[in-house]
Amino acid sequence: MGDFVWFHDVSWHATYAIYFFIIGIVAGLTFLSFLSWHNEALRPIRASSAWGAFVLLAIGGLLLIADLSQPLRFFNILNPFYLNFGSPLAWGALNIVSFGIVLVVYLFMLRKGGGGGRWMAGIAALLALGLPIYTGFDLTVHQSRPVWNTPIIPVLFVAMAIASGSAAASLLAGSNAETRATLRQYLLWSTGAVGVMLVSILGTTHHGGSAQELTYLILTTGTMGLIFVGIGIVAGTAAPIALLLAPFGRQQLGVVLAGMLVLAGGAALRYALLMGPQQLQTLY
Amino acid sequence: MDFPKITRRTFLQVSAGTTAAVAVAPRLLHAMENELGGKDFSPENAAERKAIPVNCHVCNIQDGAIAYVENDRVVKLEGNPEHVSTRGRLCAKGNSGMWYSYDPDRILYPLKRVGARGEGKWKRITWDEALTEVAGKLDAALKEDPNTIMLKYGRNRTGGTLERFMKTLGSATVLNHTSVCESSKKVGQEPTWGPDIETPDFANAKYVLNFGSNILEAAYFHNPLSQRVTEGRVDNHMKIVTFDVRLSNTAGFSDEWIPVFPATDGAVALAIGHVILREDLQDSEFIDTWTNVTVDELKAHYAQYTPEWAAKISGVSVQTIERIAREFATTKPATLFTYRGPAKHLYGSYNEKACMMLPIMTGNVEKRGGYCLPRGMGWPQPMPQPSGPKQDSVLAHPPEYPLAAHKVSHLVPFWIAEGRQKINVAFTYQDNPVYTNPGAQAVWGKLYRDEKLIPYFISMSSHMGEETALADIILPDCPYLERWEPESMPNSLWPWLGIRQPVHKSLGESRENRVLLRDIIWKLDPDGSRGMKQFWEFKDGEDYMRHHFDNVPGLKEAGGLDFLKKHGVWPIYGTLDPRTGKVTDKTGREIQAEYGLYKKELSGADIEGAMVDAHGLITKNGKAIGIRRDGHDYVGFPTGNRLINVRVDEWAEYGFNPMPTFKRIPWHETMKDDEMILSTFKLNVHKQSRTAAVKWLAEIAHSNPAWMNPETAKKLGVKTGDLVRVESPVGYLVTKAYVTEGIHPKVISIATGFGHWEYGRLATLKLKDKPAFGGTEDPDLDNVWWDDRGVHPNAIIPVVADPIGGSQGWYDTVVKVSKAGPDDKYGDIHGDWDRHYAAYKETMRYAYTGDMHRKMHPEMASWAGPESVKPKASGGH
Amino acid sequence: MSEELRVSPIETREAPGKRRFAMVVDTRRCIGCMACQVACKAEYDTPLGVNRTWVPYKVVGKYPNVKKQFLPRLCNHCDDPPCVRNCPVEATYKVEDGGFVLQRYERCIGCRSCMAACPYNARFMLPSHRTYTPITNVVDKCTFCFHRVTQNLVPACVQTCIGRSRVFGDLNDPNSEVSYLVATNATQVLRPEEGTKPHVFYIGADRNQTEFGRDAYRKPDVMELQRSAFKRHFDI
Ligand SMILES: Nc1nc2c(c(=O)[nH]1)N[C@H]1C(S)=C(S)[C@@H](COP(=O)(O)OP(=O)(O)OC[C@H]3O[C@@H](n4cnc5c(=O)[nH]c(N)nc54)[C@H](O)[C@@H]3O)O[C@H]1N2
Ligand SMILES: Nc1nc2c(c(=O)[nH]1)N[C@H]1C(S)=C(S)[C@@H](COP(=O)(O)OP(=O)(O)OC[C@H]3O[C@@H](n4cnc5c(=O)[nH]c(N)nc54)[C@H](O)[C@@H]3O)O[C@H]1N2
Ligand code: SF4
Ligand code: SF4
Ligand code: SF4
Ligand code: SF4
Ligand code: SF4
Ligand SMILES: [Mo]
Repeated sequence: MGDFVWFHDVSWHATYAIYFFIIGIVAGLTFLSFLSWHNEALRPIRASSAWGAFVLLAIGGLLLIADLSQPLRFFNILNPFYLNFGSPLAWGALNIVSFGIVLVVYLFMLRKGGGGGRWMAGIAALLALGLPIYTGFDLTVHQSRPVWNTPIIPVLFVAMAIASGSAAASLLAGSNAETRATLRQYLLWSTGAVGVMLVSILGTTHHGGSAQELTYLILTTGTMGLIFVGIGIVAGTAAPIALLLAPFGRQQLGVVLAGMLVLAGGAALRYALLMGPQQLQTLY
Repeated sequence: MDFPKITRRTFLQVSAGTTAAVAVAPRLLHAMENELGGKDFSPENAAERKAIPVNCHVCNIQDGAIAYVENDRVVKLEGNPEHVSTRGRLCAKGNSGMWYSYDPDRILYPLKRVGARGEGKWKRITWDEALTEVAGKLDAALKEDPNTIMLKYGRNRTGGTLERFMKTLGSATVLNHTSVCESSKKVGQEPTWGPDIETPDFANAKYVLNFGSNILEAAYFHNPLSQRVTEGRVDNHMKIVTFDVRLSNTAGFSDEWIPVFPATDGAVALAIGHVILREDLQDSEFIDTWTNVTVDELKAHYAQYTPEWAAKISGVSVQTIERIAREFATTKPATLFTYRGPAKHLYGSYNEKACMMLPIMTGNVEKRGGYCLPRGMGWPQPMPQPSGPKQDSVLAHPPEYPLAAHKVSHLVPFWIAEGRQKINVAFTYQDNPVYTNPGAQAVWGKLYRDEKLIPYFISMSSHMGEETALADIILPDCPYLERWEPESMPNSLWPWLGIRQPVHKSLGESRENRVLLRDIIWKLDPDGSRGMKQFWEFKDGEDYMRHHFDNVPGLKEAGGLDFLKKHGVWPIYGTLDPRTGKVTDKTGREIQAEYGLYKKELSGADIEGAMVDAHGLITKNGKAIGIRRDGHDYVGFPTGNRLINVRVDEWAEYGFNPMPTFKRIPWHETMKDDEMILSTFKLNVHKQSRTAAVKWLAEIAHSNPAWMNPETAKKLGVKTGDLVRVESPVGYLVTKAYVTEGIHPKVISIATGFGHWEYGRLATLKLKDKPAFGGTEDPDLDNVWWDDRGVHPNAIIPVVADPIGGSQGWYDTVVKVSKAGPDDKYGDIHGDWDRHYAAYKETMRYAYTGDMHRKMHPEMASWAGPESVKPKASGGH
Repeated sequence: MSEELRVSPIETREAPGKRRFAMVVDTRRCIGCMACQVACKAEYDTPLGVNRTWVPYKVVGKYPNVKKQFLPRLCNHCDDPPCVRNCPVEATYKVEDGGFVLQRYERCIGCRSCMAACPYNARFMLPSHRTYTPITNVVDKCTFCFHRVTQNLVPACVQTCIGRSRVFGDLNDPNSEVSYLVATNATQVLRPEEGTKPHVFYIGADRNQTEFGRDAYRKPDVMELQRSAFKRHFDI
């Protein structure tokens, strides 16, 4: 309008946020399955969380591939002649593929039974740790985007992975009180960590220069504000912590409810953290 | 616009040679710079593409171009680097010209109407059927009266073919579009110094006054002149001051934008002149030697035009007027440019005249960096030529407008409706008054729909424009890339000849206009017995061109048409320097223009047998050929007395003020506080009605919200995007607001070129349909993302005719603007024939025969009235 | 800068024996005619909705002291390009001799990492419909007209630039026009804080255009109607 204008759109769309969300749960569930070899309380969810991780990994992987504009060329990313080790995505691809293989082997071993599973679980957990870290790096390396470019993002993603994983597991845990108590602890601590990191991110963003400040405004007002602050921080982070600390939070329903809030929050946070910092640049 | 050929030989033959240059500051070593074009390669396989020189005709500036062809398709257009004006560059429109050819909605075979007029139902017919039917209608009309055959064209770059056609038929009813274009500018200039336009030497100027020309987006000559404006501004540190009612790109680029109240440029220019003369800053020697008035006369005449007077009318402060006057008069060289801004008003001719006085009185005429005469070239016509029609047409030469040398075509619908002249057959060619004229669909739409007034309507068009949609039969013409046409335009200080040539076989069954006209004549007179065929004995377009070009002196030796086919233009003044983007001669220096054309001395042979009168006028065989000044015999200016006529005596004969003057528009004086003036303008990426289907341009600009100042918007309570209702004396429309700091608070401005209701699927955004007339679909149209096509304002703009120049007063409409009501929908538009008719009656009152004429000219009290004027024999067209 | 001091081995500026092409955009000469944008569209059959170069404008100031500013934009052919660093499959890469940042279309998987990485919005995803070019659904961008420059022609946008605002050449040749302009004028690059070492140099770039203004947050209403139509069509 006017005479003529030009504009751009965001590079990464909402599918990416869903992928982040799913892959975070995958990582979290894998940790829990690994931890179940060390903590008896988690024993009941060893297999279910591993299977959950597997199913979600398949969904996430398909989503990721489908989101490529050339899905059939997905294998290019594994072609050693093409591989660019400067790119977090390349590392991520290697990470995710090797994780997938290890996870399958692990599941196989779980079915067969025997001691090897413990070691496989360790390897799987290490590779799983890489998932939130690489997705975090995916954002962090973009020096030009406020929020994304804070080095804390991979750490935040790890914490969110544990939170979402524990939340998902709390739905799998059934009525086992011990498991529930352990998961409650994990949920509490990881969500707390997420909250602390969000505060630090918001603080530094608000404190930053004009691009940061404008991004802060975008993240905290309007629809994006509703998603980020309303669902992500208030309903998805602060509320579950309060809930878990309350007496009701020790009951099964309380933990499940908190877990659901954390999941909703996790989804909202990933969406907002992905989309919010891309907005400003669409105007540039 | 069609430039009348400047036929005075002296002005045609500006020599092609160049004089030595001032060397640019030396830079010791030069790098090997990449070339600025002339070749093109495919980005996919790096194969070289075929290059065919053509002449751009997306707009009428006539830039030299090269079409690059791959797989028999033009994939790229580029400026011709050998073209002295274009210098290898094209504008956004020129770069997208192939989409005229490949528009999926182009008409590729003859069509005959099957439904009611304008209903959009067509039947494909053969050329033979079409020609037989047309010839039949013409035959019948010829039997009654050749003048009942009307041809109205918009663009006519045929180089005389349309005129030949009408002369062959013996009809004088030829109408153009110049009165809606810039005619009052032309009429303001022609009696004064000869030609109808100036060529400002922007590249070398130090100071530029620009009155209402949007050089950097439109104007004659956007591309070539814009190149020189940037050069002057950056390399030569010139200052440019732009008067415009809104912030055009030119105003936005200028050192100063002066938002002037509409239609008051003339007053400002006169006041600037007043200050110059008052402070004795004029060039007295130039005035006394080269004009028909003396400095004292001028001073006496200008005494009335005080800055205080002008400031009150125009809103430009006294200080500004005085400062600009001093700057303009004391900075040399200085130049001035105008275009439609001052001219398109009730008294546009006066405005133009007042503006052009400034470079004249400061002696900046025909100087390096000054205000120069246009340079053009002519070419001979094929022989034999038909003689003119026996009888004149009142539509083409209305007696009420004897000074309107470029006709008053926009009033023609009313005259036809009044029965002033009967029409049997009407042709339309590259003209879309149903969209582009004042009244638009409400006036021309009504006329062309009326089968009683226009019994048979033929469109020669490549596109389904709003006018063509009303036709009875459509003869598919070719777009410019498939036509042969001769060209010359004074778009730089170097004259040239050029051609347009087909880049490939014409698509579908389309036929280029000159062949199509020939075919009509051949059908009418198959054996030559009616004496018509003799004027149309050519094989094809190329053959016709040979008649034009194979005998032009100089060009003939260079190879005639074959040279033009290869190079596109002649002469070639030098090569384009990749380092500077300028044309350099053999020594590597920039070529220099010739100045002082009027001071060219007549040769001994010219003088032989000539007579010199008391004023120094040199005549030979009854023709003025020059003027004697200080013992030299100069060619002078191409006017009757070879001088600049500050006083135009012919105007006085009709009771107009012969001296520079200004008339305020009466209905602007009585404007109420809540009223505004509706103005329109052109955008850089669109070309009137014809580019809405060019996808790359439509993508950049596809809607035309109404510009308004924040102050106005606040009063109305609207913000950008809100709907507003604009109500004029003849209708109303509903459009979106665009709130911008770049507009005068009393003006609302709506761009032209948008809001089509015909012109194919892209222009109307009906992309779900399929191409209907033989075109090939463009898959890219799937990516059309915009959903707004704008609102076209012309139906609510009443006709106004400058009583002198005959020009439409586009920018004079007083409107009421309000926030849209609950029943108003975006795009609502209503224009009313009866109210337009009333406006036409009103404007005729200002003609020299009308009752307002005297009231507007108290200073001409001694004029004896319209009855005193002897009717003049009309000069055909 | 000497060879030893070079921060990134990828940089070609002042590298001996190598060319380093650059564009100078003299905004004082830009008249906003959009010829460059359309010439580039034609050169590459670039589909609607995406552009290799574009010319945004701003109306700056308050009535009656108002100016219109244009800032032609394109890929900066950064000497240290984050898009290249981010591409997982080296589908985007830098040409050492010349400094062009180019695309290998047949390799691109369409992950859009490079788009996210470019601070300048210079990259875009090709839609699935084009007029006659078969390459679709991969990321594309300005190539500095590699195929023309290597045939000793200037880029298409430079070729047609009416204001001669765009000048192109080898910055490693001290006698080239671009070297001359860069040496004798104050130049700006966009978002220098990103450390990308852009090779599109601006003369007289206006801060109203190069910086995020407040209106970046208050999305200018001028754009909103268009933007929403765009999003609707491409289903974003
Ligand atoms: N891009 C493009 N270029 C074109 C054309 C095109 O359609 N598109 N058409 C060609 C043709 S046919 C023509 S005639 C020329 C016309 O070229 P121009 O005359 O340069 O362009 P217009 O937009 O008709 O009008 C010029 C300016 O007059 C201003 N104006 C309105 N009223 C007044 C006033 O009272 N005083 C002053 N000072 N200014 C006023 C308008 O705001 C506008 O900016 O352009 C030619 N070139
Ligand atoms: N509101 C407003 N109205 C204006 C103006 C304005 O500034 N504001 N400007 C005025 C000016 S300056 C002018 S000159 C007029 C121009 O007015 P016109 O001469 O009426 O209009 P054009 O847009 O040049 O195109 C006329 C028609 O030619 C047909 N056509 C296009 N290409 C070809 C071709 O290759 N061959 C053939 N045979 N036909 C073709 C199409 O049907 C097109 O609609 O408009 C005037 N109208
Ligand atoms: S100004 Fe543009 S459209 Fe007009 S002739 Fe020149 S290049 Fe063609
Ligand atoms: S401008 Fe963007 S796309 Fe171009 S090289 Fe730099 S980072 Fe890459
Ligand atoms: S979209 Fe293509 S070019 Fe861009 S990062 Fe992904 S693979 Fe590389
Ligand atoms: S350099 Fe070539 S590809 Fe890049 S913007 Fe210019 S024309 Fe387009
Ligand atoms: S072609 Fe040149 S002058 Fe025109 S908009 Fe592009 S950069 Fe500016
Ligand atoms: Mo015109």
